[in-house]
Amino acid sequence: MDMELIRTLQGWGYVSMIFILTIGLYAYIYHLYKSQKSGIKDYEKYANLALNDEIDDCLVEGLYSQDEKKINRSVKNELAE
Amino acid sequence: MQSSNAINYDYTVAKYFTVATIVLGIVGMSVGVIIAFQLAFPELNNLAGEYGNFGRLRPLHTDAVAFGFTVSGIMATWYYIGQRVLKVSMAESKFLMFIGKLQFWLYIVTVAAVVVSLIMGITTSKEYAEFEWPIDIAIVVVWVLWGISIFGLIGIRREKVLYISIWYYIATFLGIAMLYLFNNMEVPTYFVAGVGKWYHSVSMYAGSNDAMVQWWYGHNAVAFAFTVPIIAMIYYFLPKESGQPVFSYKLSLLSFWGLMFVYLWAGGHHLLYSTVPDWVQTMGSIFSVVLILPSWGSAINMLLTMKGEWGQLKENPLVKFYVLASTFYMLSTLEGPIQAIKSVNALAHFTDWIPGHVHDGTLGWVGFMIIGALFHMAPRMFKKEIFSKKLIESQFWLQTTGIVLYFSSMWIAGITQGMMWRATDQYGNLTYSFIDTVEVLHPYWTLRAVGGLFYLIGVFMWAYNMYKTATSSRAIEKEPQYASPMA
Amino acid sequence: MFHWLEKNPFFFAVGVFVVIAYAGIVTVVPDFMESARPLKGVKPYTTLQLAGRQIYIENDCNACHSQLIRPFKSETDRYGKYSLSGEYAYDRPFLWGSRRIGPDLHRVGNYRTTDWNENHMLDPESVVPGSIMPKYGFMFDKSMDFDTAYAEAYTVKKVFNVPYDKPGMPKLGTYEEAKKAAIKEAGAIVADMKDQAVKDAYKKGDIKEIVAIIAYLNSLK
Ligand code: HEC
Ligand code: HEM
Repeated sequence: MDMELIRTLQGWGYVSMIFILTIGLYAYIYHLYKSQKSGIKDYEKYANLALNDEIDDCLVEGLYSQDEKKINRSVKNELAE
Repeated sequence: MQSSNAINYDYTVAKYFTVATIVLGIVGMSVGVIIAFQLAFPELNNLAGEYGNFGRLRPLHTDAVAFGFTVSGIMATWYYIGQRVLKVSMAESKFLMFIGKLQFWLYIVTVAAVVVSLIMGITTSKEYAEFEWPIDIAIVVVWVLWGISIFGLIGIRREKVLYISIWYYIATFLGIAMLYLFNNMEVPTYFVAGVGKWYHSVSMYAGSNDAMVQWWYGHNAVAFAFTVPIIAMIYYFLPKESGQPVFSYKLSLLSFWGLMFVYLWAGGHHLLYSTVPDWVQTMGSIFSVVLILPSWGSAINMLLTMKGEWGQLKENPLVKFYVLASTFYMLSTLEGPIQAIKSVNALAHFTDWIPGHVHDGTLGWVGFMIIGALFHMAPRMFKKEIFSKKLIESQFWLQTTGIVLYFSSMWIAGITQGMMWRATDQYGNLTYSFIDTVEVLHPYWTLRAVGGLFYLIGVFMWAYNMYKTATSSRAIEKEPQYASPMA
Repeated sequence: MFHWLEKNPFFFAVGVFVVIAYAGIVTVVPDFMESARPLKGVKPYTTLQLAGRQIYIENDCNACHSQLIRPFKSETDRYGKYSLSGEYAYDRPFLWGSRRIGPDLHRVGNYRTTDWNENHMLDPESVVPGSIMPKYGFMFDKSMDFDTAYAEAYTVKKVFNVPYDKPGMPKLGTYEEAKKAAIKEAGAIVADMKDQAVKDAYKKGDIKEIVAIIAYLNSLK
């Protein structure tokens, strides 16, 4: 490949990266505010992840149900004994 | 939920790294003060023969503060924040505990090897990548272990959503991993030729290519070591210490992507002269500006988090550290792009303005954030009050004075120097010989060294306060939810 | 899609990585292919010069000295012709430096002599009053490391096809041949020096570091 062609490809690659990133970013902004507004997802509550971070604080959004985790724990405890 | 009372967060590894942060901070910044005085008073170069001159010590300073102080600080806070925002304890996994400890000890061994080898003059000469190949391998292992720790902890988490700080830690991990590998490609000479020093190697890249990779690395390493993980810290510690939820969590998500993209973009602006049609280039520039906007969101977000709560700035010295840190962050993100302007760069490059810029970022932003973060962690890790609030206050003011002395003297020095290098008389001849431009800097270099000394004394005060907190402070029964208790 | 990424740390990580890597490739690789070619007349370093270069790196002279003359009149007046990319083709690693606490050295061989350098390295202040450069007296005692220099030259020849032993290029040859050549080259420099201890050592076949670093400085043109 000659240098001229590589440079052209590079230019296009670069510009398209900027385009795609910008579009992606602003789509994300739209997505965030839309989901918040329409109540699909409350992003602001995640700020509490930092504030209520004791190990026995209520989960902001649990991965499992609490019960399931409790079972896991008691199994572990039994194993330890 | 009585069973969960049995589990507590386990800060063993965080404590280890806390000690490392303090020790390496003292080492790195003491060396910084020494080299600063060496420029002002060159006789100081001769104190330790071959091993104590500016050339040997400068890389020791930069690496000890970057890979020592800063990286330890990142690890200490990771092993603290990681557990808390994922709501899972290290004590729940023997495996992760083992990995954490292994990572720590291997890291310490590596740091020791770095210190010895740099003083011995074993270096590849590339800034922030001075280490020869055996150390590079050790660093890669340490990094992989950290990766296991991050993703391991995430794997056993209770909290489904990853708090924004975790995003930043992940980005730090990935960014540094990639950059470091590419920049340190080298061929050990002993294994090819069979003679010479076994640890010597030669770079895979030559000349301008080597410079390009190094530049790409240097630019991004600063981003991923001095910016991204420090933002991870401020997103946790400022809200937690002040009891204020982040002003806008959505903005924090946006600024994350904004920042990631902008750093990539910054690598490409020299491409604007390529053979792509003009209109495409123009569009590219416009989009770049649009892209850059959200990256300042983090700093603004932090300041707005304190909205209506500015009274805390008076009462709580830790909040002072965090707020000043984010102010310095804004300052240096403003200064960086200014220096990147072509005509400014022509003047500033190679001068003292560059270290001036580096240090208002590192002292004001990185240093203050790490110091403030570990202060917040201390009462929780040791179950004791912080030993002395008064001492924190004096430390804060002493260090702030130090930073101001540092960057103001370096700005003046840099601009003076840059102007003198290019000054010509009426016949177009250069006005100054090189040595004239060195001698004129003496007062500024002295002032900078004194500023650095102030900062270093502050670090000692911090170390003392932390030590007293761990050993002889009053115990606390219940962990405070927000503001850290201090005597 | 965004919801999904927020909840899947693994794919999230992959996404970050792909974006960073793509940007790296686009911005760096093409420059890479362009600037690898050596300028005509540029030659690889002899082993003696290479040993000097290693000493330069060992003492981080590049912490204070750049080797990059930019195309501004004020710089070309002070240091000589501005630097071209092809001149660095055999520099592994590059030594452009990031600071100019001392002057640029890319063409220092044009205007500083062996004799000047000898005095200056021993005690910079005595040559340039007000200098803040450290003294490098220890280089007069320490012997240079020929083996590692040879290993480096041999490695770049084998691995990166650096044209040693090609017509018009420096000869490397076997270890013994290279050593003989280095001693001969050092002899010419030692003859211009006045330090008796360095001369005596040379007679015994022991080349001091100062000789190698001067050979390197003289080669910068
Ligand atoms: C603390 C920074 C510092 C370090 C480290 C340093 N120098 Fe210097 N160097 C200077 C300064 C300042 C000058 C200008 C004053 C003078 O000529 O002594 C200078 C001047 C020179 C000159 C004369 C250049 C000219 O154009 O007149 C040479 C050659 C030189 N240095 C070589 C070296 C070598 C080789 C090393 C490493 C072994 C080294 N320097 C390390 C600061 C430094
Ligand atoms: C006690 C305070 C400190 C002092 C006195 C100090 C002093 C210095 C000096 C004299 C230099 C060399 C500048 C030159 O080449 O002219 C330097 C470089 C540097 N320092 Fe510090 N330093 C301090 C703290 C720190 C901290 C805390 C960090 C990072 C966390 C840091 C990061 C750096 C970096 C990255 C460089 C290289 C700059 C460049 O290449 O332009 N320093 N420092």
